[in-house]
Amino acid sequence: MDLFTNLATGFAVALTPANLGFCFLGALIGTLVGVLPGIAPITTIAILLPFTFTLPPASSLIMLAGIFYGAQYGGSTTAILVNVPGESSSIITCLDGHQMAKQGRAGPALAIAAIASFFAGTVATVVIATASAPMAALALKFNAPEYFSLMVLGLTGAVVLAHGAPEKAVAMVLIGLLLGLVGIDVNSGAPRMTMDFAGLGDGIGFVPIAIGMFGIAELAVTLGKPQDRKLLAFDWRELWPSKAELRQCTPAMVRGTALGCLLGVLPGGGAALSSFAAYAVEKKSATDPRRFGKGAIEGVAAPEAANNAGAQASFIPLLTLGIPGNAIMALMVGALMIQGIQPGPQVMTSQPQLFWGVIASMWLGNLMLIVLNLPLIGLWVSLLRVPYRLMFPAIVLFCCIGTYSAGNTVFDIWVMLIFSLLGVFFTKVGAEPAPFILGFVLGPLMEENFRRAMYISRGDPLVFVQRPISAVLLALAAILLVILILPVVRKKRDEVFQE
Amino acid sequence: MTLRINVPDLAFAAFLVALGAFAFALSAQLSVGNAAAMGPGYVPRGLAILVMIYGLGLGLRALFSGEAAFPTVELRPLLLIMGAVALFALLLPVAGLAITSFAIVVCAGFASYDVRLRENALAALVLAAGAVLLFVTALGLPIPIWPG
Amino acid sequence: MLTRRGAFALALVLAAFAAPASAQNFTKQVTIIVPYAPGGTSDIIARVVGPELSKAIGQPVIVENKPSSSGNIGADFVAKSAPDGHTLLITDAGTLATQPNLVKKLSFDVQKDLVPITLVMFSPYLFAVHPSVPVSTLQELIAYDKANPGKLNVGTSGVGSIQHLTALVIAKKYGLKWGIVPYRGGAAAIRAVVSNESNVIFNGALATQPFVVQNQLKGIAVSGEKRLPAVANLPTFKELDMPIVDTGSWQGFLTSKDTPPAMTARLNAELRKILAQPEIVKKMAELGGEVRTSTPDEFANWLNKAINDWGAVVKAENIQIDG
Repeated sequence: MDLFTNLATGFAVALTPANLGFCFLGALIGTLVGVLPGIAPITTIAILLPFTFTLPPASSLIMLAGIFYGAQYGGSTTAILVNVPGESSSIITCLDGHQMAKQGRAGPALAIAAIASFFAGTVATVVIATASAPMAALALKFNAPEYFSLMVLGLTGAVVLAHGAPEKAVAMVLIGLLLGLVGIDVNSGAPRMTMDFAGLGDGIGFVPIAIGMFGIAELAVTLGKPQDRKLLAFDWRELWPSKAELRQCTPAMVRGTALGCLLGVLPGGGAALSSFAAYAVEKKSATDPRRFGKGAIEGVAAPEAANNAGAQASFIPLLTLGIPGNAIMALMVGALMIQGIQPGPQVMTSQPQLFWGVIASMWLGNLMLIVLNLPLIGLWVSLLRVPYRLMFPAIVLFCCIGTYSAGNTVFDIWVMLIFSLLGVFFTKVGAEPAPFILGFVLGPLMEENFRRAMYISRGDPLVFVQRPISAVLLALAAILLVILILPVVRKKRDEVFQE
Repeated sequence: MTLRINVPDLAFAAFLVALGAFAFALSAQLSVGNAAAMGPGYVPRGLAILVMIYGLGLGLRALFSGEAAFPTVELRPLLLIMGAVALFALLLPVAGLAITSFAIVVCAGFASYDVRLRENALAALVLAAGAVLLFVTALGLPIPIWPG
Repeated sequence: MLTRRGAFALALVLAAFAAPASAQNFTKQVTIIVPYAPGGTSDIIARVVGPELSKAIGQPVIVENKPSSSGNIGADFVAKSAPDGHTLLITDAGTLATQPNLVKKLSFDVQKDLVPITLVMFSPYLFAVHPSVPVSTLQELIAYDKANPGKLNVGTSGVGSIQHLTALVIAKKYGLKWGIVPYRGGAAAIRAVVSNESNVIFNGALATQPFVVQNQLKGIAVSGEKRLPAVANLPTFKELDMPIVDTGSWQGFLTSKDTPPAMTARLNAELRKILAQPEIVKKMAELGGEVRTSTPDEFANWLNKAINDWGAVVKAENIQIDG
């Protein structure tokens, strides 16, 4: 068995005391950084980069990778406890995770997030070890038309996210798309809707929007309700999800992991899309979809699994093709190059120790993260015992510092302020921010790929249905749309009959 | 059909129309191009129009969809929390992280109705020190600590 | 008197030891501004050079990212910073040579508001196609494009990038009808050409050659005058008599205008010393380029020539960016 010899090679590298240490260090730093809102793992990796020059290549990559997925774990902690998402993937965790925390069930929410992440991490490691070559080949089948169709499917699914009025969710997706277009147009270089603010040249920052609309707006709204003073109370006996809940979550984790592995391979929007998609699938397949958005435990398990599987799958293009799928992976390429390793299709054969060592360390890193995080749950939950009047000013401060650090400019703080106010407004009028964020993230990618596909086809829109993968994705979107519209139509008809 | 205004829905619809119109005005200068070579204005203008039409539709429906008043907004927490954020943006470049952190924690603290003066000041002191140690010393973020 | 004179002499000797390069001392922390997000070539150079510079000048050196797609925000920040040599800019040909020709409302003037310190490195381009394109030489490519106009698309790292301008100049010289498709950076362009979304690329040689070696891309030529060892079978632009022989990407250090020339000289001396260390030369080679340092004057001449040359291309091709 080739796989076993390969994995044995990998574990031999990853299990040396030094590399175990670096793996732990990376996971620890990553968790810390992930817990702090807005402090992106990429900033930390960049700062630590010079320290890794002196390490052997495998150790340095093991540590940097540890920071990356450690941050995924840490991010969900903040999302659950205080409703502050640090990145697009933890927005979904906010939806039901924070609701659970509000109901005094922060412990089970954190535990299921950790368990789902570990499960997904384990499966994803096996997938990377056995199937990275065919998956990378699949990723290369995705050209501009396929990306566009995938985004269309994703946005159709975004409407499922909302537990309120679907017509408002559609509106939120539309304005998300519109605001996502602010900034310099990739295809022409023209600045669009920037009002001559240099800080908007690259678009409105994701971090100020997400932290403002979710974190700060939530604070302003909750503090306005005196009856919620005892919010975030919890019960010590309920630190752990019940057996029934674990059973309930298992299929959700499996589905989330599968989606994460598939979508994570795609560069750009893939990883962000996976947690949204996993949540939408759970909600649509649930017997009682109304529980979602009100603290459904599968609503935490599925996206967390998808998110972690996606994060790990995003290593596939890097490891097998040498093509970074996102900014963090680009930084990893830099780290490798400085170590004298030219990433590319040859790494697997020319550097088997590095390749398999990193894969083995991914699983070890996930193991360490769960060992590190499960005992921490008690600590995080007891953090909620700090009186809220002392807690929220700290949240405001950390949100501000995190937002500032993303671009080292106070401009982003003003942006955050505007979106905090908008977030309060949206809450008051009953429009949910999650579909907005998905539109915002996917909008520019969708436009970019749409225009690119049309340019390469020299203006022939049939390109979207002539290519098989794209056609299937569009067909799925159409089916989903019908499923979404039918109940609304039926309800309307019922209402008419009642009157 | 009697006029039964749903105020929150109407407010949301008005926001959509205003945002769409604003975006349309901002992208009016951009060239539209054609389907094979779309200009930078093609998609933004299309979307802006869509948002406006959608907003008009929602607004029309809100006029008849049953009475609902706009929910009350508690001004004290809203103003003080947003004020704290604004304070951060104004103070950080001139005063450095330590003083800024102290100031915004004190300011945000008053957003809560059960604020205790001495406790709040102490929390601000601890958080300011903690923020400097954590973000600048430990994480090495390039943020000035003191004025100047 | 004697003792006082003795003390004075001792102080002089100590001062001479303390500041061997020049009288210009660094009084506080030095900040290197990278006008891009972490992970790009400029960012990695800054993070490799930063710790060495700190050792050399005895002050902390921190790297700060002020990201924007063309580097203008970070460059503007440095242009407007105090002229004391404590705020440095590291950026590339995009910010320094093509943006000034493309963006009319730039808030600073590269030639007037920034002072060059030294060039850092230069990377030639590898000109390659997707393997499904049935050509392996420049002549075959020209013939293929004539027979199949519009079939070829060049993936570039962005609108108005040197890659984009290079594709335009080559198309003009040989009457090619290829399309030009901008991506978000060089890595995205490589992905697009490897996956056959676009099918022609001009990109930094070291990042591109593994794909040629592994037959995921087919090499046509390399820019410059020297063949590259890893792809020695590929002719150079010079051998093929192609236009803009020395196209490629490069990075340099600059600082704010009105910085005292002695300070610029000290920075130049320290940076060139660092960039001459074999360890650093090796790291730069691994990043995809050869170290190429210069005096501030040489760099200023290089900048002026680059801005003029690419300006002529922009004018000849009538490239415009709205706004």
